Amino acid sequence: MEKQFVPEDFVPVVLQLGVALGFVVLVMVLTHIIGGKRRRIRSIRKEDNFECGIEIKGNARFPFSVKYFLIAILFVLFDVEVIFFYPWAVGFRDFGWSGFWEMILFIGFFLSGFYYIYKKGALDWNK
Amino acid sequence: MSNEEVLKQFLEKFDASDLHASESFDMLTITLNTGRIHDAIKFLRNDLGFGFLTDICGIHYPDAEKQLGVIYHLHNLQENIRIRLKTFVTIANPNVPTVTDLFAGANWMERETFDFYGIIFDGHPNLKRILNVDYLDYYPLRKEYPLEDPTREDKEDHFFGR
Amino acid sequence: MNEPIYKKVAPPEGYSAPGVYATTLDKLVGLARANSIWPLPFATSCCGIEFMATMAAHYDLGRFGAERLSFSPRQADLLMVMGTIAKKMAPIVQQVYEQMAEPRWVLAVGACASSGGIFDTYSVLQGIDRVVPVDVYVPGCPPRPEQIIDGVMKIQDLIKSETLRRRYSPEYRSLLEKYGIQPIN
Repeated sequence: MEKQFVPEDFVPVVLQLGVALGFVVLVMVLTHIIGGKRRRIRSIRKEDNFECGIEIKGNARFPFSVKYFLIAILFVLFDVEVIFFYPWAVGFRDFGWSGFWEMILFIGFFLSGFYYIYKKGALDWNK
Repeated sequence: MSNEEVLKQFLEKFDASDLHASESFDMLTITLNTGRIHDAIKFLRNDLGFGFLTDICGIHYPDAEKQLGVIYHLHNLQENIRIRLKTFVTIANPNVPTVTDLFAGANWMERETFDFYGIIFDGHPNLKRILNVDYLDYYPLRKEYPLEDPTREDKEDHFFGR
Repeated sequence: MNEPIYKKVAPPEGYSAPGVYATTLDKLVGLARANSIWPLPFATSCCGIEFMATMAAHYDLGRFGAERLSFSPRQADLLMVMGTIAKKMAPIVQQVYEQMAEPRWVLAVGACASSGGIFDTYSVLQGIDRVVPVDVYVPGCPPRPEQIIDGVMKIQDLIKSETLRRRYSPEYRSLLEKYGIQPIN
């Protein structure tokens, strides 16, 4: 009952990809042609950060703890895992036992990763 | 408190020799020598209530024996009395003790006086030029220069009819 | 009652046909740039107040496309120096000019920016053309807003007649070197 897709049906997709890529390439080529070669004036003070005209003192970047980044990135990973649970929950009965064990395997991969980060202390906030 | 009472209490503490007091336009003016100026300001601030330093400025009298002067203006905010203290030094030895330990605002005021008159404030934490460019090699407000400098390159003479 | 005379700005030279106007790329780009100047108001003193009047509704510099002021040199075309520049401020003016992206123009508004004005003294820079190359000077103390607009219109004429390759030319490079701006390439 499913509609058969012939390769010709995918021509619009390829065309869209070509247009997107082509536009980017065209604009970059055009700017290089109109803009000219690398004969622009460059000087040290010109490329410094803008500090209202006074001398730059030091770097504006400051060190911040990596644990904020770690927690955020781990959240993203496990959130993606949770997203995969939703279609499984919807078709739970239809997948039967084989589907169940496949999902347990899937969760098992993530659990082993979770065990790893737990042991490495990435979830230890006070460290 | 009136000016007379202030002067009376001041003279109880400080010996009247080598001290000159006068009143001009209702403001008491006391001229001291440099050695006593710091204690005088301390006394005025702590005991007589002159807790606000209005200004420190310099002056140059080319015809006097002690040419450079530093003038302090203090203000008693509670009783609305102002007092002026003057001290004079020579150009050869323009050293005056700093009052930044008594008044934090004296920091920049003394830097300005140094910038324009060349008066060195002993004990100042950061005595360098504040308003002029750092490479200026003279003290502009001293009256040592003729009115128009013939070697100046700034203005072109033929534009100004010279 | 006489008809008011509106002076219209002439279009650049080119070939015209119904619905079509063909001109060189230089002139087209110059036209676009001239009518959309983004000024950087480097307003220091009294001339800055006159500039405020110029930008306000009565004299309205926004009519000429200069509505969007930029206080960052990275996004500005025209550096308008309005007011007295002290010698301590001179390297700052030069750095701000240097950090502008090409093409860039400088308008010295007022007597103090042009030549130091009445301040013939140890602390005032006697004209910003000692530190940056200036394109148009607007004399006055302070100049009236109409004069500032006249200066901007002269800048517009300069922009329209500038070639696209001027900023890459060795003459421009040597001009900058004369002011102490050293290119590194």
